[in-house]
Parts: sequence; structure tokens; C-alpha cells
Amino acid sequence: MNDSSVTLDSADAPAIAVNEPIISIDDLSFSYDLGKTNTLRNISLEIPAGKVTAFIGPSGCGKSTLLRCLNRMNDLVDTAKVTTGKISILGQDINAPDVEAIELRKHIGMVFQKYNPFPKSIYENVAYGLRVQGINSKSVLDQAVEESLQKSALWSEVKDRLNTSALGLSGGQQQRLCIARTIAVKPQIVLMDEPCSALDPIATARIEELIAELQQDFTIVIVTHNMQQATRVSDRTAFFYLGELIEYDETSTIFGNPKVKQTEDYVSGRFG
Amino acid sequence: MAKHFQRQGRRILGLDKQSWIKGFFGGNAGISIVVLFLICFFLMLEAFRFFPSHHEGLQVYRKSGQEYVGHLMEQADGYQEFVSFTNQAYFAEYDARYTKERGIKDSWDALLGEIEDEGEDLAEVLEDARDEEDEAAIAEAEGAYRTFLKDLTASVSRQSIDSFGRLEGHDDTWEKLLLAAQTYDPVEEETPDFVAEAIQVQKEGMHSFTEAKGEIAAAGTELKDLRSKLVAITAKIAEDAEAGQSARARKEALLAGATKMEGEDKAAALEEAEKIVIQDEFPFGERVQPLEEAKEAHRQAVAKMRTKLAVGIAKLPAQLESDKAAQLIAQIKNGQERFLDNVDRSLEKAQDWEFDKDVGFFESVAKFFFGRDWITNSSWTNVYGLLPLLTGSVVISCIALFFAVPLSIGAAIYVNRLATLREQNLIKPSIEMIQAIPSIVLGFFGIMVLGQHLQDWSQAAWVPEFLQIKDRLNAFNAGLLLALMAVPTIFTLCEDALNNVPRAYTEASLALGASKLQTVTRVIVPTAISGILAAVLLGLGRVIGETMVVLLVAGNRISMPDWGQGLGLMMQPTHTMTGIIAQEMPEVGEGTLHYRALFLVGLVLFSISLSINITAQRIIKRLGNV
Ligand SMILES: Nc1ncnc2c1ncn2[C@@H]1O[C@H](COP(=O)(O)OP(=O)(O)O)[C@@H](O)[C@H]1O
Ligand SMILES: [Mg+2]
Repeated sequence: MNDSSVTLDSADAPAIAVNEPIISIDDLSFSYDLGKTNTLRNISLEIPAGKVTAFIGPSGCGKSTLLRCLNRMNDLVDTAKVTTGKISILGQDINAPDVEAIELRKHIGMVFQKYNPFPKSIYENVAYGLRVQGINSKSVLDQAVEESLQKSALWSEVKDRLNTSALGLSGGQQQRLCIARTIAVKPQIVLMDEPCSALDPIATARIEELIAELQQDFTIVIVTHNMQQATRVSDRTAFFYLGELIEYDETSTIFGNPKVKQTEDYVSGRFG
Repeated sequence: MAKHFQRQGRRILGLDKQSWIKGFFGGNAGISIVVLFLICFFLMLEAFRFFPSHHEGLQVYRKSGQEYVGHLMEQADGYQEFVSFTNQAYFAEYDARYTKERGIKDSWDALLGEIEDEGEDLAEVLEDARDEEDEAAIAEAEGAYRTFLKDLTASVSRQSIDSFGRLEGHDDTWEKLLLAAQTYDPVEEETPDFVAEAIQVQKEGMHSFTEAKGEIAAAGTELKDLRSKLVAITAKIAEDAEAGQSARARKEALLAGATKMEGEDKAAALEEAEKIVIQDEFPFGERVQPLEEAKEAHRQAVAKMRTKLAVGIAKLPAQLESDKAAQLIAQIKNGQERFLDNVDRSLEKAQDWEFDKDVGFFESVAKFFFGRDWITNSSWTNVYGLLPLLTGSVVISCIALFFAVPLSIGAAIYVNRLATLREQNLIKPSIEMIQAIPSIVLGFFGIMVLGQHLQDWSQAAWVPEFLQIKDRLNAFNAGLLLALMAVPTIFTLCEDALNNVPRAYTEASLALGASKLQTVTRVIVPTAISGILAAVLLGLGRVIGETMVVLLVAGNRISMPDWGQGLGLMMQPTHTMTGIIAQEMPEVGEGTLHYRALFLVGLVLFSISLSINITAQRIIKRLGNV
């Protein structure tokens, strides 16, 4: 692997140089009710590869919605619809008719707000994504499980009890297990929706450390409502308000020298 | 002090309104619990009283020698089966081989019957004329008789003479018969040559079979004679013993009644009471003496039956024209060894019989739980064995679950995870609606519609022989209907269980690139598995306790399933624990052994349902802490 580009293991994935846009969102509007009202309005932004991008904004502004557009999780809502614009990931329009959401999600992992490991063993949790792809070879799985747990800094804590239930772990450990599970399928992009909001400060700190490490291998998009967290972990930050993108820039600019008044009010804690 | 915070309102019987309301609702709950306990208590009281009476009954069965004769009957019945199989085979073969010859003989006999009936008077005139040797009269009588025969043969219906149609396709033979009939002489009574020949051919052709048949039929004569003799003796002993047991009670009742009477009535009652002799011990030993003496004769009869049966069977022809006969004879030959083994075992048991050996109490209990017969209202002896009813219930429940479980779980998965909202709103109420069908209506449907259709379908060419339905009412039919009844229960509970699987699992699975189906089979079902299991168990509880449908549709034949049929046993009629109670309870006398036996069956049923429910409850409770 080359440090200046994010080559990813998936066979069909083109290598994209760090800082080149891996996700391009162009004039996206999105509706939960077949277009009657738009939850997201005319959003355009480009997310660079190999970096951590943070979405911030007051509750209900559509951060999660946008994130879930990226791996088409919104398909689960029957009345959800992209009303205008398009999203390209690795150059491919992900809402094109011949794109299969299942295939897409193999390249774009997701970590949820509330940690949600399956009620299975630790090992099976990590192996799940590979198993559904039909990989059942023990040696391949063993290796992938160990590697993913190493990368998510969980290996030393669980290596002696891989076959015990994942639900016996602490909250922070469970969330790291969810991260391990996500990276086991070697996605190019990892989406994180407020991954620390259900955790205590110490567990939060560990996840943040982890994000810094994962940045070397993955492009990360993280939703957070915690401003300090955004400054600590992200390279770039997008600020949303009422379904619109207000400002998008280097994190240091957003927090140090925002161009829009609303952004300044928000980051300085005057509303939200 | 001012009156603050005082209770408002009137008190009734020292209790205020709140207490009364509380008491009302508490009372309702209390009544339910009390009723439940009363039912349990009553059920157990009656059921457990079965065992001492049953033990006593078995004791008398042994002491009176009925047990001994029971063994003998078993042997004789087994033997009788060979006789009846042989007869069936004989006639099947006969028919197959000599259709035409039988047709000739039978038609000739039928024709003669007609001729003799109708021409009786004319025949007499002819005979008289011949006796008197009056040439003119003879000629006239013969002429008249010829005319009669001509008319008769012209008008006779071929269908009523050759009623089995054995001469179909042999029109010339038929003509020949009619011709022969036209020259029949009622005085000479000669059989035409070709008829005699046909008879001869049959006789010779069937000769060896006839011989074998005779041998087999004669093999058990002694055994059967002995059987009827001993049956009469022991039945009388049992009856007398029974009477002896109730004599004391009868006498006491008469004496007690007499004290309240006057004059003649009183004298009559006292006299009657006097006549009743109370024996302290019924003299079984003395009475069963004839049985002890018959033991030797029994051994000999069995030995003779064994050898003659073997000889007869060996003589059965090997080359057969009728498939049916061949099949029957194969069955006879295959069954022979097992039968003889059984006879040996049964004979041994019979010879070991001693009238004064006690029946162990445990043995009598085991006879109920493991007994393979349930025979009531028998002139010989009643037998209460649970197994045929239990297996009937189990077989039907298995069939029901076999169909209901995949159906309901599949429907639940579909509705819960895959269906659109509109489909959900259609499917869920429809399935729940099934519950609203009264079981009597389902039973009616099973008898009138399903039974007939199933039977018709089972005759299709691709259905293997053993699955073909012979009786319209059978376990399979009942099982299908019960499956329908179990579907709403299992479906609803399954759906609940699936609903309890957090959405987060689905999202996580989909986000990892799993398909909807993979998500269902790898995450949702495994997570909900205990709930699904509980649903299945509660469905089983529903099925095993169902009465009306099985009573109407299962065919109500009390017998152990024929395991040799494999899956074909599903197609046999059967009886169930619930069905037997519903069927027999209305007509048994209170307090009789039969009555208590039914209660005991009820108790067994109750225990089964209870354990199923408790297990399900446990599983559901465990579900709480996945
Ligand atoms: N599944 C859904 N169906 C309909 N509306 C939704 C759904 N999810 C979110 N919304 C609405 O979309 C808006 C944006 O929500 P969300 O993206 O969750 O905000 P955020 O994550 O920024 O707090 C909210 O008004 C919310 O009520
Ligand atoms: Mg959110």
C-alpha cells in the first residue's frame, strides 16, 4: 500500500489519491414523503479520500439522512426518494438503475449511533459480512477476524473469548466490535453516525483514537453533535442547518474563522 | 381540631367504597383460581380411583381364568386370520383361473332354478304320465314342457342368470346353455355334458388348492372347540364372582329395607335376603379346576394346529394366476413364522398361568399406560390401554405441526419483514380470521369436502401405493384441519417474536451487504428462535387439546397404528384422547371403571397440555434476556 493514495482491496475499486474527491454530491435534494417536502435541499459537496469529514449541525437538520443516502440505507423507507441531484461514489452514480444497494454497501460500511452487535459470538459478529458474501473458509475468516479486531484495538481484550456472546462486552467494546465488523469486509468508506453518543468519556476517547488510526486505511465520514469531537478527529467539516449545507471547509476554518454568521453562532454555542 | 382529611362517604358492612371495589375485582380473580383448583382436584380424585378398581378387575380376570382363556383366544384369532386369508386367496384364484367354467356352472344352476320354479306343475304332470305309461299323455306332457322351456329360454334375462358377467364374450357358450336348457328333462335331471365337463375341470384344477385349504381349515378345529368351551366356563365364573362380591351389599340393603316394611312385603323381603348366601371367599380354586384339566388338551390342540397349518401352507400352490391370490399367499407365508413364535410365547404364558398368583399393583398401572388395546362394552372383558389413544393424538399432532409450522413461520416472516404495508394489512387479519371458524364447521368441512377430495387425489397415479387413502376419515385429514387451526396461534406468536427483534439488527446486517433473505435467515430467525419455539409449542398445545375436529374427522378407530405401513399410517383412521372422552363420557355410568378410565385419560391430557404450556412460558421468559 502506498501512503499517498488509498488503494483498497476490493478488486473493482479504483485507487484514488488522497484528497481527491471519493464522494461527490451534486445538488442533492431528498424527501421522505415521495417529494412532498424535501428533508435535504440542494446539497453539493465533495468528500476527499483518506480523510475524516465531519457533519455537524443542530438536531434534525438532516445529517443522518445525508449519511444514509450515501449507502442507500434510506431504501428501507418505502416513501423515500431522491428528488433532484445525484451522488457519485468512486465515479459511479449510486442511484443508477443498475446499481445494487447490496453491492454498494459492501464498499461503504456503516457504524450506528447505538452499538448493535448481533446476539452471536464475537467471532461470528466480525465474520458476518464475509459469510454473507459466501466466504466460509476457516483460515480466511480467522485471519480477517484477527486483523479487524487488531485494527479496531479490541484484539488483546477479546482474543481469549472469541466464542462468547458479543453482548457480554462493555458498551465501548461493543461499539469497537461494530467497527471491527464493518472494516472486516474492507470497505473503502466508513460512515459513522454519532458513534460515541451512547458512550462514556473514556470509551469515547478510545473510539476517537481509533478513528485517527483508521483514517490511514479508510475514508471516514462522521456525524457528530459534539463540537470538540469534530475538531479533534476531522480534517474537514460540513455544517448543516434545516436540510441545507451552510458551510463546508477545513475543520480549522469552520471552527476558527467561519465565513457564515450561522456557522459562527452554532460553533460558538449560541444556538443548537 | 377542624375536620380535615376525613374519609368521605358511607361505610357498608364496615367497609368503604374503595375496599368494596377492590374486593369485587379481587374476588373475580380469586374465583378463577379456586375453580381451577377444584377442577384439578376433582379430575385427580376420579382419575386416581381408577387404579385400585382396575387392579381389582385384573385380579378377577386372572382368578376366574379369563386371563388363561385370553391367551387361548389370541392364538385362535391369529389362526383364524390364516383361514380367512386362505379362503380369500382361494376364491380370487378360482375366479381368475376358471371364469368361464364358473360362469357355465353358475348360469346352469341359475337356469335350473328358474326352470324348476316356473315349471314345477308341468314337471309333475309329465312324471305322472310316465308313471302311468300312457303314451298319448306322455307325448302331450312332453310337448307342453318343451313349449314351456322354449318360452322360458326366449324370455330369460341373461343379466340375472349370469349376474357376475362371467360369460361375457362367450356368446356361443351362452347359446349352448340355452339350447341345453331347451332339451332339459325334469324327470331325468341330467346335467349336460359340457356343463359336467366344466365342473370337472374346475374341480381338478383347484384340487391341490382345495386340499390345502381344507387342511388349513381343519387345523384349528380342536383349538376353536376348546375356546368356546372355556370361554363359557370362565365367563360364568367371572359373573358369579361379581355377584358374590355384591351379595353382602345386596343382603344388607334388603334387610335394612325390610325393617321399614309391614306384613307380607316384609316377609317376602326377609325371605329374599335369607336366600342370599354370603361366601367369605369365592371358591376360585375349585371353579377353575376344569381349566387346569384343559391345559394338556390345549397343548395338544396347539401342537396339532401348528403341524397341520404348516402342512396346509406348504401345500398351497406356488403358481398362481391371480395377483391378489399371490399376494395373499405371500402374506400367509411371510406371516407364518411370526405367528408361530407368538403362539409359542402365548402358550407359554398360558401354561404359566396360576389363578392365585397376585397381580402386582405396578403391573396394573403399567397395563393402563402401556396397554395396546382399549376395548369397552365387551361381553368378554373390558381393557383400558392408553397407547392407541396417545399415539393417535401424537400422530395427528405431528401431521398438523408438519404442515402448520412451516406455513405459519413463513407467513410470519413474510408479513413481518418482507411484505408491504398493504400486504400486511391484508394477510394479518385474514390469518387471524381463521380462528373465528367454529371447529364444528371445520369438522363438517373435513367430512363433506376435504375427506372426499383427499381420497380422490390420493388415487392419482403419482401417489405411492402406501399413501393411498382407503378411509375417507383418517388421521391425515384431521391433521390437515388441525394444522389450519394451529396456524393463527403459531403465526401470531411468531410474528410477535420477530417483532421483538430490534430493527438495529436488520440495519446492521443490511449495512454489511447482506440481502433481505440473508438477514432473515442469519440474524432475525436465530434471534427470535426461542419465541418461535414457544409459538410452536403453544400451537402443539392447541392441537393436542382440540376435540371436535378429531372426533368428527379422525375416523375413530381404536387401534395401534400399523407401523409396518411407514408413513402410510397417516392415512389410517385413528382415535384420540380427546375424542374418546367426548365420545364415551355421555354413556358411561358414574363411578364405573370405564368412567374413571376416561377421567384418567383426561388427566393425562391435562398433564401433557400443562407441561407444554409451562415449557413455552419458560422459553418466553428466557427470551427477555437474550
Ligand atoms: N425514516 C424517516 N421517515 C420520515 N422522516 C424522517 C425519517 N428519519 C428522519 N426523518 C426526518 O428527517 C429530518 C432529519 O432527520 P435526521 O437526518 O435524523 O436529523 P439529524 O441526524 O441531523 O438529527 C427530521 O425532521 C426527521 O424527523
Ligand atoms: Mg442523527
